[in-house]
Amino acid sequence: MKPLKIEIQKSELRPDVSVWHFEGELDTASVEPINRNFNKLLEGKQLYTIAEMSKVTHISSSAVGELMGCRQVLTEHGGDLVIAGLNLDIKTKLNQMGAANIFKFHSNLRTALNAYTWDVEKKSENVWLSFPPELNFVPPVRQFVSRIARQKGYGQRDSFRVETIVDEACNNAVEHGAPDKSRDIEMFLKIDRAKLEIEVVNLSDPKKIDSLKAISKSILGTEEKKFERGRGLALIKMLSNDLAIDFSGKGTTVHVTKLREE
Amino acid sequence: MESQIELEYEDIKGRTNAKKVKFIGDLDATNVETILEKICNLFTDGFINIVADFKRLRYVNSTGLGILLHFSKSAKEKGGSFKIANVNENVYEIIEIIGATSLLEIYDDVDEAVAALQ
Repeated sequence: MKPLKIEIQKSELRPDVSVWHFEGELDTASVEPINRNFNKLLEGKQLYTIAEMSKVTHISSSAVGELMGCRQVLTEHGGDLVIAGLNLDIKTKLNQMGAANIFKFHSNLRTALNAYTWDVEKKSENVWLSFPPELNFVPPVRQFVSRIARQKGYGQRDSFRVETIVDEACNNAVEHGAPDKSRDIEMFLKIDRAKLEIEVVNLSDPKKIDSLKAISKSILGTEEKKFERGRGLALIKMLSNDLAIDFSGKGTTVHVTKLREE
Repeated sequence: MESQIELEYEDIKGRTNAKKVKFIGDLDATNVETILEKICNLFTDGFINIVADFKRLRYVNSTGLGILLHFSKSAKEKGGSFKIANVNENVYEIIEIIGATSLLEIYDDVDEAVAALQ
């Protein structure tokens, strides 16, 4: 039997987050030290706590009950207690106890900290990527972005629309890009809980720029129409909440905003 | 790398000039040429009536939709038809936005599409 060890640290990355490192067995005898350490947290006004349990070998129902009580107090003060790093056996046991209805489980400390940034600080996350201007790179890019949307809690329908927007914007960038393919296509993605912004930047083919401007002008100014040309741009417009195209300089920048609907 | 798409063919009882074709996967700019060749081969072989089952077609983009419109037009020019069935709601939304619902023959299920063959 491995004795319980509890250590409390402030997260280096997020000083307003306390990390409670548990090691050993959390049994009935653990209730008192949990409670004692919890009071220290409260005194320090550390309201958001991650219970890191990758080195926990056993957890009893009384210890779970005590942690539930701690969480209850924290949530009443606008904080939370989440659990990270549980091994599969203990996680299964907690699920059977119904603890998954109370606690959020994270696979490790890093994902728990990321979730804090997203759930509590409500900050956006940014992704930048670049890829050669070839059609074959587009499907993995569009699926990657769609999966990010899904992983961030966007619904199936929104994610599909995002996939289509990225696909069409990137296909246009490939099709109308500079023929020497000298510069990669760049994509910037900014996602938060309410919206997703996508920017696709490419080096335009100077011979196509006038026709591109004409098509985009027609589509950006059209409410309802059967599109013979520029179907991709038309789709982006209809699936998004805002579409802007900038032809200044040598490149073309397509900026799309898609609000979360589900 | 091309997006994954497969076509599965099935005869239609009593119709020598018709085929059911199941589309499985994603239809996009990377694989339209492959699909164009396969469907055109069917037309060349005399199968001028196609019932396309989209039950397992997960994704279509504007390029894929363009090729579907081409199939519909080609089949009509040959005196046949290109009918679509079992379209999932995401794909249907794309067809609808482009304004192609009136240009394509869309049915709720394959049996209904087969019954509509002339």
